[in-house]
Amino acid sequence: MATVNIKINGQQIQARAGITVLEAAKEAGLDIPTLCHHPALANIGACRVCLVEVAKQRTLQPACTFPISEGMEVETESPKAVEARKFVLQMLFSERNHYCMYCEMSGDCELQALAYRYGLDHWTYPSPHAKMPVDGTRKYFIMDHNRCILCRRCIRACSDLAANHTLGVRFRGAKTMISADMDVPFGESTCVSCGTCLQVCPTGALIDRKSAYMGREVHVERTASTCTFCAVGCGTSVVTRAGHVLRVEGDWDAPNQGVLCVAGRFEPLYDTRERITSPMVRKGNGLVPVSWDEALAAIAAKAKGNGGKKTAAYVTGKALNDTLSEFVKVFQGKVRATVGTLEPTLADLELPVGGALADLDTADCVLVVGGDPLATHRVLGYRVKRALDKGARLLVVSDKPNGMAALAHRIFPMAQVAEAVKIAQGSTAPVVIYGGDLDKAGARKLAALTGKARFISLFQGTNGYRARELGLKNTLNANGVKVLYLLLGDGELPEKAVQEARRAAFLVVHAAYKSAATDAADVVLPAPLWYEQDGNFTTLDGRKAVVKSAVAAPEGVLAEAEVLARLAEAL
Amino acid sequence: MAEPYYRANVLVCGGTGCTASGSAEVIAAMEAEIKRRGLQDEVRLVHTGCRGFCAMGPVMIVYPEGIFYCQVQAGDVPTIVEETLVKGRVVQRLAYQEPDTHKALPFYKEIPFYSKQIRIALRNCGMIDPEKIEEYIARGGYEALSKALTSMTREEVIEEVKRSGLRGRGGAGFLTGVKWEFTAKAPGDVKYVVCNADEGDPGAFMDRSILEGDPHSVIEGMIICGYAVGAKEGYIYCRAEYPLAIKRLKTAIAQAEEYGLLGDNIMGTDFSFHLHIKEGAGAFVCGEETALLASIEGRRGEPRPRPPFPAVCGLWNKPTNLNNVKSYANIPQIIVNGAEWFSNIGAKRSPGTAIFALTGKVNNTGLVEVPMGITLGEIIFDIGGGIPKGKKFKAVQTGGPLGGCIPAQHLNVKVDFDSLKEVGAVMGSGGMIVVDEDTCMVEFSKFFLTFAQAESCGKCVPCRVGGKRMLEILTRITEGNGTLEDLDTIREIAKGMETGALCALGQLTPGPVMAALRYFEDEFRAHILDKECPAGTCKALVRARCINACPSGVDVPAFVALTAQGRYQEALDIHRERNPFPLICGRVCPAFCEQKCRRGDVDEPVALRQVKRFMADQEKDHPWTPPKKEGPKDKKVAVIGAGPAGLTAALRLAQLGYPVTVFEKLPVAGGMMAVGIPEYRLPRDILNIEIENIKRAGVEIRLNQEMGRDFTMDDLLNGMGYSAVVLAIGTHKSRKLGIPNEDLPGVYHGVNFLKDVALGKKPDVKGKRVAVVGGGAVAIDAARTALRLGASKVHLIYRRTRGEMPAWEEEVHAAALEGIQFHFLTNPVRVIGTDHVTGVELQAQQLGEFDASGRRKPMPIEGSEFVLDIDLLIPAIGQAAAVECLGSCGDISFNRDGTITVGPDLATTREGVFAAGDAALGPATVVEAVAQGNKVAVAVDAYLKGQKVERPKYVTAYHNVPQVFNMDDYADAKRPQMPELPVEQRVCCFDEVELGFDEKTAREECKRCLRCDLEWVETMGVEAVTQSDKDAVAV
Repeated sequence: MATVNIKINGQQIQARAGITVLEAAKEAGLDIPTLCHHPALANIGACRVCLVEVAKQRTLQPACTFPISEGMEVETESPKAVEARKFVLQMLFSERNHYCMYCEMSGDCELQALAYRYGLDHWTYPSPHAKMPVDGTRKYFIMDHNRCILCRRCIRACSDLAANHTLGVRFRGAKTMISADMDVPFGESTCVSCGTCLQVCPTGALIDRKSAYMGREVHVERTASTCTFCAVGCGTSVVTRAGHVLRVEGDWDAPNQGVLCVAGRFEPLYDTRERITSPMVRKGNGLVPVSWDEALAAIAAKAKGNGGKKTAAYVTGKALNDTLSEFVKVFQGKVRATVGTLEPTLADLELPVGGALADLDTADCVLVVGGDPLATHRVLGYRVKRALDKGARLLVVSDKPNGMAALAHRIFPMAQVAEAVKIAQGSTAPVVIYGGDLDKAGARKLAALTGKARFISLFQGTNGYRARELGLKNTLNANGVKVLYLLLGDGELPEKAVQEARRAAFLVVHAAYKSAATDAADVVLPAPLWYEQDGNFTTLDGRKAVVKSAVAAPEGVLAEAEVLARLAEAL
Repeated sequence: MAEPYYRANVLVCGGTGCTASGSAEVIAAMEAEIKRRGLQDEVRLVHTGCRGFCAMGPVMIVYPEGIFYCQVQAGDVPTIVEETLVKGRVVQRLAYQEPDTHKALPFYKEIPFYSKQIRIALRNCGMIDPEKIEEYIARGGYEALSKALTSMTREEVIEEVKRSGLRGRGGAGFLTGVKWEFTAKAPGDVKYVVCNADEGDPGAFMDRSILEGDPHSVIEGMIICGYAVGAKEGYIYCRAEYPLAIKRLKTAIAQAEEYGLLGDNIMGTDFSFHLHIKEGAGAFVCGEETALLASIEGRRGEPRPRPPFPAVCGLWNKPTNLNNVKSYANIPQIIVNGAEWFSNIGAKRSPGTAIFALTGKVNNTGLVEVPMGITLGEIIFDIGGGIPKGKKFKAVQTGGPLGGCIPAQHLNVKVDFDSLKEVGAVMGSGGMIVVDEDTCMVEFSKFFLTFAQAESCGKCVPCRVGGKRMLEILTRITEGNGTLEDLDTIREIAKGMETGALCALGQLTPGPVMAALRYFEDEFRAHILDKECPAGTCKALVRARCINACPSGVDVPAFVALTAQGRYQEALDIHRERNPFPLICGRVCPAFCEQKCRRGDVDEPVALRQVKRFMADQEKDHPWTPPKKEGPKDKKVAVIGAGPAGLTAALRLAQLGYPVTVFEKLPVAGGMMAVGIPEYRLPRDILNIEIENIKRAGVEIRLNQEMGRDFTMDDLLNGMGYSAVVLAIGTHKSRKLGIPNEDLPGVYHGVNFLKDVALGKKPDVKGKRVAVVGGGAVAIDAARTALRLGASKVHLIYRRTRGEMPAWEEEVHAAALEGIQFHFLTNPVRVIGTDHVTGVELQAQQLGEFDASGRRKPMPIEGSEFVLDIDLLIPAIGQAAAVECLGSCGDISFNRDGTITVGPDLATTREGVFAAGDAALGPATVVEAVAQGNKVAVAVDAYLKGQKVERPKYVTAYHNVPQVFNMDDYADAKRPQMPELPVEQRVCCFDEVELGFDEKTAREECKRCLRCDLEWVETMGVEAVTQSDKDAVAV
């Protein structure tokens, strides 16, 4: 790779040709202040905080966009650059309400940090700003225009990362405002609450309702983990303080590139279901808390000698790998019971699996068949939209209403899947995304693309990939079952499945929350929550994703695998 | 069918300006008339694009003679057809007339507006029908394309453009050929050529005129560019507000395609080029190249940082060459005539021509194409015909809202990219807005800032916020709430924007403000420190333009309104609050108020001086005793000099209770009012009435008391017990000519001459030949006085032209009527005579470069000397204070021009001594001296009370006189003529020339006043102070 020699602040640096001054400085360990720049976003050179003095250039240049070239000499903190930078900061502070002491972001705000760095300790310009609106129409976070510096990070996050294009600017000059769609309240906009904008906002303009004022960065702990709410396996950073989860952020370095969806970022934090913290056994009409030994003994008493079809065990696809292994070991190996998953694993379609998010970055044709990633695997859906923004064609094959249909170049009913396949065959790098609505006949036609296309399966269970590997094919069937063991984790059983489960003579429900299923159970075993477990699971592209507990489980709640191991002992 | 062989072509301009003034009707009438007379096979009517001379529109040229008709209306058409097309005669009344001489110039090439122009980009505008490609081809169109495609390689085309030195006409002036080369060398198969037709400067319309008047020249330039850089496709980005331009472009593109000049395999070669039009929504920032490209791509029109430059990464990330309309329009001519031809036109580093849209306060508004390197003064005064209504040129804004103003002292600057930059302006895309004395430069720069900041895209911080902050500060200043620190803040913001903004819009937004601040800081300071707008336009600071224009701030609308009602005494009281000499000023004031009267914008200004005279005359038999404002005080004040400044100061101090003594060197009081202004303008009895009024206030006037002879400054301040002294000694010393023999007997300096006449010394002038030198009031007074004393011949010698004479135009006119012979552009070089003047040697002058005041400098014409035989030479070229008398005062400093050095508080360098009037200001008018008297009284009062006042201000209550008649009834009323003594009667005596209005005339004239003051009261939400409605008398 070609390199060039440049000098930054007198320091001789060798850097890759084509990178920017900012990147070169960063690689050399030099810190150039920025504001509208964000590593995950395209640079626009708008805020002018990173202005540096480049020899032989008439004006100051933004380090974030200016490419390096051989022999270039750059001063990042020359008097001229510092003066311009301070001017920019003073202008920003004069523009809207930046009285830090009342701001949620005080202490974590990038604007505030720059002001400290450059010694802005008073208002140089009077701050006659008009009061700006605060948009609180969205459920999970608030847009306070008073704190906005119009850096447009949120817009770029919305457009370039989530590919949702909800945010934009309206008006121009000093009247410029961030707005949603054609200026509607955010809550009524096309926003999908992925929260990427919230995560990139450098000031207190976008505020998370749940964690606001709950602690600055120095007060909180972060745990790198993986979202367990679908099979995409988005990297997360779980932010906690004193045993409470404050919020979840996307991991910029993970394949999801910082993007999460509403189901991973916000919804779990608003869960109001009642927690189960102790094993319980039905005595008379009610469930009575008992010791683990008593509960496991009660199950063992019923299950012993009830192998084969009389005992069945089903596990949620959300279960981590070691849980699944233990589950198979206990129920298949020891009890010889009927085992299966609560969600189908698409194994009967006999199509390839393992396509990754990154495959969409180079895709020129995306075929979505029998599933709706925007409904079930949203971050994957956003990635498809990004591919469309870059010019890829989208073909949707579905008999049901599909969230992606509005974006599709062509829509086919399932019966005409062959036509979509034909179009995809004409493309260079097709990606097939298929889900549970695909039937076997369709799958056979789709199989024609094997070898040419990458296949991404929309596993309904988070760990569907592993469940499929383990051969857990069966789906819930309580017909003639004497003892039924359901491992729900922190998930919930659909109403129909609860009815099915009730048919069993003896029902064991292993779950984190009280539900209709636990109400119907004879024995209830407590399970940890998503942020209380350690382990890993296999994502839809076959990656082993690490899950780390951010908060310890309540006393008496044991890891699922441990419970299964102890059950094995009791049997 | 072949076209008939026409014997005449009638070209009627269909440009936007002429269309607005009715050219469509002219065309229709001409068509009908030609048909009616059966001339349709002989005379061809051509509907052309803009001819440039918009001020004179609709314009028409008749070929083959090249007869140029101005302001043609449909009604003139039958005459034109009859006279010119049938009989071959010129209709003189429709010909262009020289503004000074009113001489008709019927032929196109004689008209100075055109004769200094060189038309390259505009060569076809106004000459051809822009909707006919045949006409373009007939004038050499597409010859360049054929030459380039068939006989030049791509490299040769680029080389030719490079060698021509053509610089981008969009404003930045980057070398066009170099730009083409960048695009040509950029890697990539797909390249684009884009034309920037997003002309957005207020007042600029040259791109529009080319597109409307000669679209093929741009198209041809673009095709040649496409060939040179290797592009197959081009876009013209034209604002949607130019529907006619877009229509003509579409027509032209279709015709060019039909002729095989555009499209696939042009002229049978393997070169193909397609052209598209993209309509822009009119955002100013879309003129910035990267924003323009974003807009073509369908994104929000916002600039992005460069690099990468469009030449490498432009439209849809492909190499793109982007030039302005004018740049492309120049290309065909460069290719056809060669680079040398082009580079020999204009200035060395800015070859070729520049096109300007000349607008604002200039006679010949329109579109001009001039060689680069022409001076600004030539454009404004020769081509532009100078400033309308005899007003003074103040500045010209070039480069539109991102440019800067250039003041009078830089009229000699050469108009090219680099020279304009040196004086703080920019070439820009070619707007040129001329402003006169009535424009407030703070307000003017605020106008451009308002525009530019509103057009900011809002992307980068310096532009988005900086422009807004600066506008807030400027607004504050125009409202009288600014501080001096604000000026520093403006400079800081400007620097921040210039160094930090993303694109040229943000970097140049502070330009107009900075240029205004550079050249007109005084005006900014006047708004800040004195809360005054000298030009009289800042609403909050200007109650009415007349009040603002009056140096002593007389409440003109109030006294006029009361005079209309016949309430003369009240009117006079209001006048005297600011100026105690209404009788005098009603006769001799140059009436600054009248010059700014808004009624003058409608028809003619209200005859304010004559109204004043009438008002004052009504009460001259009722002596005025000035009212006391404060109780008696112990500290005494001495005033040296009984002129208008001294008397006013004495009056105001006496009204405040101080015992005041005025010491006057001469045997009469009144200063220059008594010994400078001749009696035929100001009768002595009138003067004495107002001097007596001052005495009635308790002022003691001691005549024949000369400082240095009869007393000294130390005497006054010590022995005589005065606590403060006001020096109001005027300027009674005449400046010398500085030529040989000047001290010969018979050389009689103007001031002395007038003084001697006034004091009854009766200089011997009878039967003598007199020559007066100078162009000011003293020169005219001396000449007219000499005539009245019986001179056989009076000459007036002035080195410039009549229009530049500082004297009052009415006086000059009267002098001419009375038989004074003027010698303009003439200067004395030697006095002739041995023991007495027998003649004066004169030398003819010609006007050369512009001097700092914006007037052309008289330059001697060698060998033009001639002798004028005379007996008496009266030099009157200026005065100085006779400060010898102050020699004994000690500690008083003087300026280089002989005036006394004073601070803003009028204090001299000696404690307790103040100076006012001409002695501090230099020679001025009575009303200016009165203003000084008012002001120095405030300063002295503060001094005696031990207060510190940095900028004394004489404050009086304002009056809100209700309007009691229907103003609409006077909408058509005309200004009356002042009755005067017949010329033959006046030249032999010193009787007053002006006879005054009668009551009816005066009171009716008052009703022509538009009462601007009431508008101010309403806008500012001020409550009335004096009169209530019930006092009003309906008349």
